[in-house]
Amino acid sequence: MKVKIQKWNAVATWRWDIPEDDVCGICQVHFDGTCPTCKYPGDDCSLLSGKCGHNFHMHCILEWIKQDSAKGQCPMCRQRFEWTEQHNETSIDTTQGPANTQNQGQDQRVEG
Amino acid sequence: MPPQFAAKRLGKELQKIHNSLPPGIELVSAEDFEEWVLDIKVLDNNPLYKDQTYRLKFKFGGSYPIEPPEVVFVKLPDRPIPIHPHIYSNGIICLDLLGQQGWSPVQNVESVCMSLQSMLTGNTKNERPPGDEEFVRANRLRPKDIDFYYHDNNV
Repeated sequence: MKVKIQKWNAVATWRWDIPEDDVCGICQVHFDGTCPTCKYPGDDCSLLSGKCGHNFHMHCILEWIKQDSAKGQCPMCRQRFEWTEQHNETSIDTTQGPANTQNQGQDQRVEG
Repeated sequence: MPPQFAAKRLGKELQKIHNSLPPGIELVSAEDFEEWVLDIKVLDNNPLYKDQTYRLKFKFGGSYPIEPPEVVFVKLPDRPIPIHPHIYSNGIICLDLLGQQGWSPVQNVESVCMSLQSMLTGNTKNERPPGDEEFVRANRLRPKDIDFYYHDNNV
């Protein structure tokens, strides 16, 4: 039997490229969900990855970092919290392998 | 600070607490997201705290967990205030973790209880902080507004 495909719909899901059971230490919500202030996960509620290796919802960590008492430190390890520059969707270099996009905030999604 | 932040975070914590708590920690009441009461016990045989249960009151502001909760021991007929060089006889606790300087938003009710358990476990001094009587008589400040002088960081 020959089948001719006339039409097909592709469906893709994504999740953040971090361990699956990880929660944001500040709001304790799973990273697949949003921070307590947002409705939709993804670009509207992105994650920030610290150079120290700790991840948070961007909105959560910014609430903390703007406190004087935070002294700019990661809530987990108290090292200085620094993150790599965020790239916009349009600036993704398609020649980069997945390994290169691992710590780049908004780019940190994998198709799954 | 978004208004529902504290409530959502506390809701998550409560869910977890209802599932399980570490040994020696029990939830007494959590009627709302403003004030919770828990009992703690010291699990080793430290003679200062053996066979005793201590009652803790947590008060959360709208900025929790960006700001620390207010945590004090509460005195009842069967719930004494544990004797410790950093615990005043009115239940106020001097612990860097609970102050603006030592607090981190990844701490939570459970981790605070565990820190207090270990603060008691490790203590051998059967004494109150220096100036306890005077402090208890004169203090009108809320715990978070007190600028504690950490006189002995080894305790």
